[in-house]
Amino acid sequence: MINRRHFNKILVGSVALSFAACSSITNVSLPKDRKRVIVVGGGFGGATAAKYLKKFSPETEVILIEQNKEYYTCPFGNTVIAGINDIDYIKHDYKILESKYKVKVIHEKVKKLDGATNSVILENGDKIPYHKAIVSPGIDFKYEKGYVKGSEQFAPHAYKAGAQTTLLREQLEGMQDGGTYVMVAPANPFRCPPGPYERVSLVAHYLKTHKPNSKIIILDQKNSFSKQGLFQEGWENLYRDMIEWRSVEFGGKVLSVDPKRKEVTTEDEVVKADVLNYIPAQKAGQLAFDSGLTKGDWCPINTKTFESKLVKNIHVIGDATIARSMPKSGFSANSQGKVAALQITRLLKNKPVVNPPKLANTCYSLIAPNYGITVAAVYEAHEDGIKAIPEAGGLSPMGADPSFRALEAEYAVGWYQNQTADMFR
Amino acid sequence: MKKLLLVLFCLCNFMYAVEYDALQGKMLSLSCASCHGTDGKSITITPYIAGMSKTVMYQTLLAYKNGEKTGTMMQKHAKGFTDAELEQISYYFSKVER
Repeated sequence: MINRRHFNKILVGSVALSFAACSSITNVSLPKDRKRVIVVGGGFGGATAAKYLKKFSPETEVILIEQNKEYYTCPFGNTVIAGINDIDYIKHDYKILESKYKVKVIHEKVKKLDGATNSVILENGDKIPYHKAIVSPGIDFKYEKGYVKGSEQFAPHAYKAGAQTTLLREQLEGMQDGGTYVMVAPANPFRCPPGPYERVSLVAHYLKTHKPNSKIIILDQKNSFSKQGLFQEGWENLYRDMIEWRSVEFGGKVLSVDPKRKEVTTEDEVVKADVLNYIPAQKAGQLAFDSGLTKGDWCPINTKTFESKLVKNIHVIGDATIARSMPKSGFSANSQGKVAALQITRLLKNKPVVNPPKLANTCYSLIAPNYGITVAAVYEAHEDGIKAIPEAGGLSPMGADPSFRALEAEYAVGWYQNQTADMFR
Repeated sequence: MKKLLLVLFCLCNFMYAVEYDALQGKMLSLSCASCHGTDGKSITITPYIAGMSKTVMYQTLLAYKNGEKTGTMMQKHAKGFTDAELEQISYYFSKVER
C-alpha cells in the first residue's frame, strides 16, 4: 500500500528546490508523460549512471536513491589511511547532481527492488514504481573464521570508505615504532584487486617516515595478486625488508582470527598484530540478494545492456556484477554505468541497443606519493562475456626510471580528480 | 623518411574517412571521460580534449596506436580501437564545445 503523504514528505524534505516545481514527480504512480528510471546506490556506478541518464535523455525522470548524504570513495582512501590526504579529500556529495543535472536524490534506505511490480520498496514501506531501474549495490563481506559483525571496530577492514578509513588511520597513528601491521588480504574475487597492495605500500611509506623500525606482514588468501611484479619491485626499491608477503600456500592461510586480541591463527603460528587490517572475503551487496539478483555470490548480467539475467528491467552495474573479465574497480563501475545509461535510453525509446558496446578500465596504484604504477584494458561486450581486446592494455613497464613513476603518480591524481568530477560535478 | 611515411599513412586513412555516426562516437567516447573529464573537459594535468581538431586528434590517436608516440597510458588504450573507431572518437570530441 502506497503511503502518498509520506512519500511527498520525503521528496519535499530531501530534494532540491529544482524539482519542487515539477508537480508530476510527487505523484507516486508512474508519470504518464515521461519515463522514470530509478538508480539505487550512489557510488562509482550509480552516481555516474544517474548523471549520464540525464545527459543522454533530459526528459527522463531520474531518481537516485542513496542512503547517505555524503559519499567517501575507496579510491584514494589509502592516501587518507597513510596520512597523505585528509578524509575530506575523498568526500563527495550529490548537490550538483540535483542542481545542475536535475537528478532527484532521495536519501533513504532501500529494502529491496520488486521485479514483479517494477517498484523500489523503501525501508519505511514506501513503494516507488519505475519503468527501468539501475542497481549499483557494491559489496558486502563474508563474516567467517571469527571475524563477525562488530569485529571491524577492533580490526578494521577499511574496505568501505568513511568511518573505517579514519579508524584504521587512527590505529596506525597510535602504533608504536617497532610495531607490526598485519593485513589479511582476501581470496578472489574482490573489490579493487590492487587495493590491498597499494594500501600496504602507502602504510610502509608512512612507517618509513615516522616509525622506521616497524614491519608489515601480509597474510594472503591467494598465491598471486594484481600487478605483483610491479608492486614487489617498488617494495624492494623503496621499503626493502619492511613488507613481508606470505601467499596462501606458504604461511598466509588464515584458520581463525581473534579481532579483539588482534591475533591471527595460520597453519603455522599465531601472528600477533599491533594493527590488524582484516579484509574479509566478499560478495554482492545485501540489496542484490534481497532483490533476487544473485546467483552464488554475485549478479549475472546481460553483458550488452547490464540488465539482470534474473529480473527483467533491473540493470546491475559495478562491483556486485559478474562482468568478467572486467575487474571490480571504480573505473569499471563508471564505464559500466554509462553504457547501462546509454542502452536504457535506447530501450526506453524502442531503439536498438548499441552493439557491441565498448568499455575500458585503468587502475592506478600509488606505491609512494611520487611512485605510480598502472594496468589498463579495453573491452568489448559479446553475448558470452565481456572480452578484453588482446592487443590493447597491459601493465606499466618493469624497471622504469623514477621520472616515469613520478609521472604515473601525477596522472593518478589527475585521474581521481577528473573521475570524481565525472561522477559528481 | 619516417615522417613522410606517417604523413602518407595518415593521408591514406583520410581517403577512407568514415562518416560521422553520432551514436558510435558518443558510445566510444564514454570511457575517455574517466581520465579526461566529462566530454573531455579535463580539470587536471590530463589533456583537455573537448573541441580538439578532429584531424589533430585522429593523427595523435593513430600515432599512439602505431607506436609512433608513447605516453604512460594512451598507447595501451588506442590499440583497443579500430582506425574507424578512433576516427569516430575524434569526430565526437571535435564537436563538443570547448
